Amino acid sequence: MERFPLKSSVGQKIGLTYQSVYKKGANGGTGRSVPPAGDDDMVDITPGLQQAADVTTPTSHGTFQLYEHAARSSAANAHSYIAQFFSSTVGDAVLFSGMQGDDDIPGIGQYDDFHTIDWQRDIARDRMRHRYIVKKRQDSIWDLIKGAHDAWSGWVCVLLVGVATGMVAGVIDIGASWMTDLKFGICPAAFWFNREQCCWSDTNTTFDSGNCSQWLTWPQVFGDRGDGAGAYIISYLFYIVWALLFAALSASLVRMFAPYACGSGIPEIKTILSGFIIRGYLGKWTLIIKVVGLILSVSSGLSLGKEGPMVHIASCLGNILSYLFPKYGRNEAKKREILSAAAAAGVSVAFGAPIGGVLFSLEEVSYYFPLKTLWRSFFCALIAAFILRSINPFGNEHSVLFFVEYNKPWIFFELIPFVGLGIIGGCIATIFIKANIYWCRYRKYSKLGQYPVTEVLVVTLVTAIIAYPNPYTRMNTSELIYLLFNQCGISNSDPLCDYNRNFTDANSAIEKAAAGPGVHRAIWLLVLALILKLVMTIFTFGIKVPCGLFIPSLALGAIAGRIVGIGVEQLAYHYPKIWLFSGECSTGDDCITPGLYAMVGAAAVLGGVTRMTVSLVVIMFELTGGVRYIVPLMAAAMASKWVGDALGRQGIYDAHIALNGYPFLDSKDEFQHTSLAADVMQPKRNETLSVITQDSMTVDDVETLLKETEHNGYPVVVSKESQYLVGFVLRRDLNLAIANARRTMEGIIGQSVVIFAGAVNPPAGAPPCLHLNRILDMAPITVTDQTPMETVVDMFRKLGLRQTLVTHNGRLLGVITKKDVLRHVKQMDNEDPSSVLFN
Amino acid sequence: MYLKFIILVFFATSILFVSATYEDKRCKCVCPSLAAVFNNTSDTSRSPFIGNVPPNKCNCEGLVLPRIVDQLNGREQEFCPRCECKYENRNTTIIKVVVIIVIWVIMLLVVYMGFLICLDPLINKRAKASYQEHTNEDDESTISGPSQQMGPRGNVLNRVTHQQDKWKRQVREQRRNIYDRHTMLN
Repeated sequence: MERFPLKSSVGQKIGLTYQSVYKKGANGGTGRSVPPAGDDDMVDITPGLQQAADVTTPTSHGTFQLYEHAARSSAANAHSYIAQFFSSTVGDAVLFSGMQGDDDIPGIGQYDDFHTIDWQRDIARDRMRHRYIVKKRQDSIWDLIKGAHDAWSGWVCVLLVGVATGMVAGVIDIGASWMTDLKFGICPAAFWFNREQCCWSDTNTTFDSGNCSQWLTWPQVFGDRGDGAGAYIISYLFYIVWALLFAALSASLVRMFAPYACGSGIPEIKTILSGFIIRGYLGKWTLIIKVVGLILSVSSGLSLGKEGPMVHIASCLGNILSYLFPKYGRNEAKKREILSAAAAAGVSVAFGAPIGGVLFSLEEVSYYFPLKTLWRSFFCALIAAFILRSINPFGNEHSVLFFVEYNKPWIFFELIPFVGLGIIGGCIATIFIKANIYWCRYRKYSKLGQYPVTEVLVVTLVTAIIAYPNPYTRMNTSELIYLLFNQCGISNSDPLCDYNRNFTDANSAIEKAAAGPGVHRAIWLLVLALILKLVMTIFTFGIKVPCGLFIPSLALGAIAGRIVGIGVEQLAYHYPKIWLFSGECSTGDDCITPGLYAMVGAAAVLGGVTRMTVSLVVIMFELTGGVRYIVPLMAAAMASKWVGDALGRQGIYDAHIALNGYPFLDSKDEFQHTSLAADVMQPKRNETLSVITQDSMTVDDVETLLKETEHNGYPVVVSKESQYLVGFVLRRDLNLAIANARRTMEGIIGQSVVIFAGAVNPPAGAPPCLHLNRILDMAPITVTDQTPMETVVDMFRKLGLRQTLVTHNGRLLGVITKKDVLRHVKQMDNEDPSSVLFN
Repeated sequence: MYLKFIILVFFATSILFVSATYEDKRCKCVCPSLAAVFNNTSDTSRSPFIGNVPPNKCNCEGLVLPRIVDQLNGREQEFCPRCECKYENRNTTIIKVVVIIVIWVIMLLVVYMGFLICLDPLINKRAKASYQEHTNEDDESTISGPSQQMGPRGNVLNRVTHQQDKWKRQVREQRRNIYDRHTMLN
């Protein structure tokens, strides 16, 4: 009997059983799992077939026999342990071998809404599916093609995701820039152009305002050609009305069609990638409404950006396109590989930074990130950036509006102001996070939360009224960032560049010069803009429209940085004799560049808000097209992260995850308490553990158990007295399998015995048994009750477990689920353990 | 039917607005005003020059000088270094198509939203009697798919209504999570 490998010559038999995964699986495929087409439901449940399988192949059934045998055998030695191990993995493998592509029971392997996925199980399923395909490849040409298709489907899928992401990003960029300018005026000859495109080839463009004869501002449309108060009031009114209209449309579309489209989506994507199911969060309607709502809410002039939601949009595309490939669409763990790549593509198109996108996915969003996913993410991000770059949405040959090309040197002394900027950035970020979380919590628990659309309208109205008078807040935030990043070259006529300098050559170095009155005025306006943006962003992030916070935080940092930069520059101009400046700065050329300070400040605030480090630096230097500024950016990012970590523990995304109570087990945190598995496991004392026996419960018993308890899974034991563990079965699978059996199998009644494992010969005359060994997980992860929780938490994080079983002296004692772990962690951190969101 | 009509109207509007033509390429030079150069005043006003020249000629000599050479009086060497030239291109067709698509999608969504708010409750009230509650959407979509064999027209219509009901139920659930119970996306 080959299913008892330890009985005779061990080594040879192990080889045989192991091979059987490949070879005998083929027999299994032909013998068992190729029933007449359309009748998949019958596979392996009918007793007759089961018996046949028992004889020929080492099924999971056989494995259990081995277990039982080994447990009872007095001659158990070291060899038998190895044999047990091997055969149990084989058993597990064979268990899933029939589950390729077309499942025998519909719905097995899927999960309910707000449930956690079981990474181990899904990956095992995929491995078996893969082995099945590899083995079938030799059968025919068609199978070979199928195998080839399966092998490259991951790359094709990320290619499609990249192309789609690039195109959608182009649509959003063009649509948002057009609609933003609609607040100011219209291009009557070609209404689809924004102001810059409208004045593209008009030589009569006035240089300061950017207006030309073809572009009509709203007062001009109504015949008021003057520059007086009347025109100003009409512009002001139109600005407010358009802003309100866009915001109202965005909020009501979100409310009507896809409420999941609101917010930035990154905390939720993080949670989903860590193995949580939120049905419909990455669906078609969410995608459409998020795209349209994002265009509308960006154009409404609210203090928000499109970069965060772009990650959500890309993930939606990844989810939708993965359904084209069953390998990914039907396997939640595999699907998350595509989603990781899609998140990289989202950041890649948002900033035109493919490498930064990959690192963002690795550092911030993803949970499970093998090298294979890294390469795919890289490819996906590259394709997306390339497509967006070919669409050329801004007409500047780059995929972001605020791309700047820098090639100015910086001097060593400047590291001090850069670190200072990092500290300022960390402080601004902490203020922002604390205030925003406070406001969001207030919204969650107070009456304010009942008026989502009204809230959006009020915030928009206030933003529009305050923002219009200040030119720096009136303009599009991306344009503001561009302006602040830019250096005061010859073509820059903003008041910010009102220096007393005389250009004689556009290509020569920019000398330092005294600031003119325009600069002083601009600084005051920028200070006001900084305060306004900070306050408005606190109230904006979290309202029920699509909104991200990359752009507002970049803008906050850029304003602060530019102000500091101008300060240092003037210091260097007025006191050139100070020893600090005397070395490199003595010639006066290219000494201090305020634009560089703006960039460093932007990185500092964004780093403080999101607590990114590596990806942030890479994104910023991809934005500026130069590696020269890595050291300043690194210094600022690190300083801001330290300050941020010192003042408040969490970044904005982690804080929002905690606020919403998503079941996210952060792999960055450490578990530092001394509790044991026995303290955390369910059931507590004086409660009984709901178990299923392997071969003595009837269908009625099982259904009663399902009705009376609401656990998501049940351990299967040998008998209630011995409590020896056999395996683990999920509630959902059990429900589906019983319903399926009642529908498709003859003679299954309430008194039928449910058999999970073990060979039982039913007495004659008894109703036929229901064999459910297909849905039994024979290899559940177990720990002993004395295992420290540190180890258990690590297992949950690193293996992506959904639950683990606790044993004592080999007998089943209890279960620890991810929910128990999360609750325990919260309890240990003195937080409310009931806030964890789970079904 | 409606879809065809919508597509037709869409193309009609697209064709209608083709008339105005815009260049796809430009060379833009920003130069100081002539007065600032010759009088040595601190006048900072600048003037842009925009023209359609090949990329290799996109500089002061190629674009700006031919236009103002008579005003310069031989002081090109002084004027030209102060000009900054940039060659840019764009695709007007993509911009047009994208903006029109965006407008169309927004209009369709608004119309559908209006329909769902105003007309749907009236229609639904009548159909309420024949409507039955489904609980598990996944099983039923796979199981009840082939079982509804009742003529192609009725089948399609039924499936559309069924899908719509399923979607509405999902949205209602999402709305409850977010707007009422505040369990998500706060």
